[in-house]
Amino acid sequence: MSDAAVVRKAPPVGRQGNYAGGVTRLVAFTIDVAATWGIFTVSLAGISFAFQLVTGHNLKAAGHQVETVSAFVAWSFIYFSYQWSLGGKTIGMAIAGIRVVAKDGTPITGRQAVLRTLTFPLSFLLFGLGFVGILVTKDRHALHDRAARTVVVYSWDARAARLRWLARQESTEPV
Amino acid sequence: MSPLPGTGRAEALAQVIAERVVSLVVDAIDIDALLAKVDMDALLAKVDVGAIVDKVSVNDLIDKVDVDGVIDRVDVEKIIERVDVEKIIDRVDVEKIIDRVDVEKIIDRVDVEKLIDRVDVEKIIQRVDIDALVEQTELGTIIARSTSGVASEALDVVRAQAVGLDDFVARWFNRILRRDPSDWPKGPLGLTPEVGTHLVLAEAGEST
Repeated sequence: MSDAAVVRKAPPVGRQGNYAGGVTRLVAFTIDVAATWGIFTVSLAGISFAFQLVTGHNLKAAGHQVETVSAFVAWSFIYFSYQWSLGGKTIGMAIAGIRVVAKDGTPITGRQAVLRTLTFPLSFLLFGLGFVGILVTKDRHALHDRAARTVVVYSWDARAARLRWLARQESTEPV
Repeated sequence: MSPLPGTGRAEALAQVIAERVVSLVVDAIDIDALLAKVDMDALLAKVDVGAIVDKVSVNDLIDKVDVDGVIDRVDVEKIIERVDVEKIIDRVDVEKIIDRVDVEKIIDRVDVEKLIDRVDVEKIIQRVDIDALVEQTELGTIIARSTSGVASEALDVVRAQAVGLDDFVARWFNRILRRDPSDWPKGPLGLTPEVGTHLVLAEAGEST
């Protein structure tokens, strides 16, 4: 393989701190949805099991839909706001290599994290119109970003990724 | 033996007389007055000092000198007190001295083990702000990534694919909306260089 081909196919570099695109953010959100559901379901199963052990009665979520939905909403709020306020990224965002920062690039405050979490559902209204800003605005603002005065940027070390990628190419190259 | 009889006695007598005359003359001369009349500068100018020095065996001379005795008589403290060290240091060309120093030779003579034994590593570590170190360097990233293998490879692929799709989508939207994003900021000013600088860095192959 020629050097030119290696460079062309290598992961993009120089992205750290750049505004993150819609696809990466969608990947992160999908992982977060799976994580919130997964953790919530496992926790619910654990609570149900413990309840059954203690009382001898079977606790089923089907009979407590309002409580279950309320618990899930509360859990989702904690999941997103706590992680955003802590390091600007959720589990999904960490995997996708992006993070939330203030408009000037500084870490977001707890207030911004809470505000972003509360306004996040608003972006889903009107068939997800709040997310269109990610595709059309220069700073890739969604509605909840605008409300909380935040932006999402790439945080993964593309340089290290590129070096690893090149190293792997080198090792698999036929002699 | 003398060629003529009686000549030896006459010579001896003449010798005694000559010595007596010389002694009387010398006693009569005022040496100080004589020296006062001598032009010492003119005399010294005629002396070839270099030739005299050449004839002197300096090493033999030094061997005869009791250096320890001389040193014992020197009051070093008194000399040091009279020396203006600051003035000497100001006149020293440190760069020139360093150039003449064979650092490799010095290092070879250093007993590193002994040196390390004298260092209190615990004390040094206590003074290091590990949090700041990890925060200000890529140490954290390196530590985190050094333990990963297959997972990080998969992660790189997923992230790279996602970024590639981001670019693809952005390109199409720019084409549809007929806009030129080259002057747009790449990210928040606090995290990315200005647009112009960023483009130059990207063209030069610089990474984040």
